[in-house]
Amino acid sequence: MTDREHYAPGPARGAQVRKDGEKWTLILVRELRHSPEKVWQALTDPAQLREWAPFEADGSLGTAGTTVKLTTVGAPTPLVSETTVTRADAPKALEYKWGGFDMRWELEDLGGQTRLTLWTNIGHRFISMGAAGWHICFDVLDHLLGGTPIGRMVGPDAMKFGGWQRLNAEYAKQFGIETINWPPRAGQKP
Amino acid sequence: MKIKLTSVYVDDQDKALRFYTEVLGFAKKVDFSQGPYRWLTVASPEEPDGTELQLALNNNPAAKAYQQAMFQQRQPAAMFFTDDVKGDYERIKARGAEFTMPPTDVTASIIAMLNDTCGNLIQLTQLARHSL
Repeated sequence: MTDREHYAPGPARGAQVRKDGEKWTLILVRELRHSPEKVWQALTDPAQLREWAPFEADGSLGTAGTTVKLTTVGAPTPLVSETTVTRADAPKALEYKWGGFDMRWELEDLGGQTRLTLWTNIGHRFISMGAAGWHICFDVLDHLLGGTPIGRMVGPDAMKFGGWQRLNAEYAKQFGIETINWPPRAGQKP
Repeated sequence: MKIKLTSVYVDDQDKALRFYTEVLGFAKKVDFSQGPYRWLTVASPEEPDGTELQLALNNNPAAKAYQQAMFQQRQPAAMFFTDDVKGDYERIKARGAEFTMPPTDVTASIIAMLNDTCGNLIQLTQLARHSL
């Protein structure tokens, strides 16, 4: 667990927000020193998702047309949402829904390395929180692929962590939005 | 141990928040999200630290069926207490809410019922004053 104890996320980077009326899309880009095939496995295999993703899948996400149940980890009441994989072009493009969110992944081959891009829509009041959460997930994914897993950090595990709070504030600043204070103070109107 | 929270299912949390604050007059209390999950509660401005009402997204097929059946049978999904049901009726109606029952005398109380526009009927209850 030493690696996990020493883990500190880097500065906020690689995220953009696209605003289309009420619908905001968070776009996250991360370069990983691993092949698209290897990254694809981590994005689709339930056993690997469990090591880094903010949800658990009851089946592989790697085949278009498959219906998979996604359980959000750490939600205050159980949240299980069913999704049908709408696109699975291994190892390049993957699309499904997580609850009401669209999830579109693209893997670009950079000569044995991968530029991973995620497009996901998210309520705009929470978009910096989402960026901070995914930033940490991608760090955990990077460790996992590199053979030095530090264990999944999502939901309350991520939020009580100082690095998450800093990232949330940094992304909010980059996106030009106000974020809510976390944890909320008694009587606070976020 | 305390009763601190009750929940209603709603079909749209943003719409519900507008209705429960702007039309009914409650105040937003807690609003946070984790992934697609959103925890959203309101409280009465008369009792800001009192019982909260959770506006929970109804994304559960079993709960949807229950909610629809309750609505069709005109059963309220929640009940709020007031000292002035006629005054609240006029105030809430003026803000555009649709009442399915105007203030009506029933045993031990006066009740009114309105549509919350999010899949529920809501009952307002004023307890009758006891005459010793």
